[in-house]
Amino acid sequence: MPFWSKESWNASGKHCYVTGGSSGLGLALATTLAARGAHVSIVARGQQRLDDAMKQIEAKRQSPDQIFRSFSADLRGAAGANAALDAITEVHDGRTPDAIFLCAGVATPRFFVESTEQDLASGMDLGYWTEAWTAWAVTKRMVEQGRKGKIVFVASTLGYMSFVGWSSYSPARHAVRGLADTLRSELLLYDIDVHLFCPNTMHTPGYVEENRTKPQITSLIEEGDSPVSPEQAATALLKGVADGHTHISGDMVTELFRAATRGSAPYHNFVYDCILDTAAFIATPIWRSMTDSRVRAHKPEHARYLRERGLQK
Amino acid sequence: MLTSKKWDPRGKHCYVTGGSAGLGLALAILLTRKGADVSIVARHKGRLGKALELMEAERQTPNQVLRSFSCSLNDATEAWDALEAACKAHGGRCPDAIFLCAGTSTPGFFVEESEESLRRGMDNTYWAGAWTALAAAKRMVRHKAKGKIVFVSSVLAYMSIIGYASYSPGKFALRGLAETLRSELLLYPIDVHIFFPGTIYSPGYENENKTKPKVTLKIEETDDGLHPEQAAAVLLKGVQKDYFHISPDFIGNVFRTTTKGATPLNNVLIDWVYALIGWIALPVWRWTVDKAVKEHRKEHAAYLEERGFFQEDVVGTNGHVEASPGA
Repeated sequence: MPFWSKESWNASGKHCYVTGGSSGLGLALATTLAARGAHVSIVARGQQRLDDAMKQIEAKRQSPDQIFRSFSADLRGAAGANAALDAITEVHDGRTPDAIFLCAGVATPRFFVESTEQDLASGMDLGYWTEAWTAWAVTKRMVEQGRKGKIVFVASTLGYMSFVGWSSYSPARHAVRGLADTLRSELLLYDIDVHLFCPNTMHTPGYVEENRTKPQITSLIEEGDSPVSPEQAATALLKGVADGHTHISGDMVTELFRAATRGSAPYHNFVYDCILDTAAFIATPIWRSMTDSRVRAHKPEHARYLRERGLQK
Repeated sequence: MLTSKKWDPRGKHCYVTGGSAGLGLALAILLTRKGADVSIVARHKGRLGKALELMEAERQTPNQVLRSFSCSLNDATEAWDALEAACKAHGGRCPDAIFLCAGTSTPGFFVEESEESLRRGMDNTYWAGAWTALAAAKRMVRHKAKGKIVFVSSVLAYMSIIGYASYSPGKFALRGLAETLRSELLLYPIDVHIFFPGTIYSPGYENENKTKPKVTLKIEETDDGLHPEQAAAVLLKGVQKDYFHISPDFIGNVFRTTTKGATPLNNVLIDWVYALIGWIALPVWRWTVDKAVKEHRKEHAAYLEERGFFQEDVVGTNGHVEASPGA
């Protein structure tokens, strides 16, 4: 869309499909979209959480015409993604949603040398495949039906960079970016827009889960983070979509990394991105240097940790 | 850095996955010529046999240990077992360097991919490298061994374009893993490197062009590729210069420096110049690529029509045909 005719995307009256919509960012998006007058469909695995989520979404109803639906499915495979899409489009006469928001993915940080095959595979399932299968199912159907729409991928600051502890998670989040960047280019064939939201730490049930396995050194490096609420993140995401940005971030740290890894991805505003680029060029090496020092300083403690667990003599 | 010795392959055990063809084979031959013990790993026994012959022709000393191991690198257990077998041939010692060259590309339109082709794409780009990296890291740490893990990604891990939905995600994922491990393996005496080549004229490249969409070929038509020997030489040089990210050409360096995030630069002054060039040139490049895609719309619609894409009723997985929706 040429920039001079940009119409701000508005959720009102649109069918928005949110995967991972029963908790965390997904739930915050679902309730925000409902409050803005959208039809909302949510998909997740657990029925109980879906039922609780539907109550919260219902509480935001603006008009009796709004259609809210939920469906329980395992989105880690193509079959689940297709079944979920069938279910949520049924009440819309089979028409594809106007926008899909691909939230999902609990992280399980741990040391690489303590990771099993299952840990790494699971990280990719939860952090990448749950988004890829739904994106694939929806894209095919949008193209079959000749319909336009928006696909919003959700990755993480850890899709732009990484550090100790994130070997099962960061690759998956980088992969999401890879798919988003490919599709931003490819789906120009069909007038389907692609966006990528990279949130930083959010106060969600997922965050509580992740801290269970997180190595101490990882927590130490992250101690300066100030987690935001999923509602704040949802608002930032929707603003970015309305502004027509391909890559969207909700916090300054991620903004700096977005600018520093932009490559050939579209920029937001030339002057603003120039300033960010310059700031990032100076700031990110300092951050990395400090982080590397902390990891090196952690060596003796880590050696003790490995011996305790029998991973080293 | 000024006083550290250049890493010398002579006498070192180098484990090269994908070592029977393309970049991997060229690297295996180069390392043999430099006096290393080389283990090559791939699936096809026949190709491994031929590769060993080529490596034998470069043998420098009678003590060099040149071996091949056949396995499916996409399988975590097989990848582990192959590494164990290679270590056994060296008195149980871990390799000094792991070069993860295994990988293939099968481009295509996203809407024409199947579940199988998308999974295979991830297997052949990411898991082919990750499983061996996992096995190697665990072994090196257990034995308190010093070593290097060298990933081979692609310029399509810095950016992506139409046709690569089954390929780029895996290559981006390799970068994510390399970034994590560069940081994490500072806990041990293990270095991490990652190579981002563009086109390499190899058997893999010929295969890739069989499925590559025309519009993708057109976008890439001005790209200059490298021969496997050239790519291998650049890769080894980059490892010896202690570069983390290694790019073999101008385009690669422009993308490397403009997507660096928190990645260390190789040479601050030169990299800054690359970044400046990219800052101006890349938006223009992207605009031309987007234009090519948009101009392809009509032809693509006809292509899909020809292949019966629109003839299929919108059938859900529950089997029944849904009402024909309006456009």
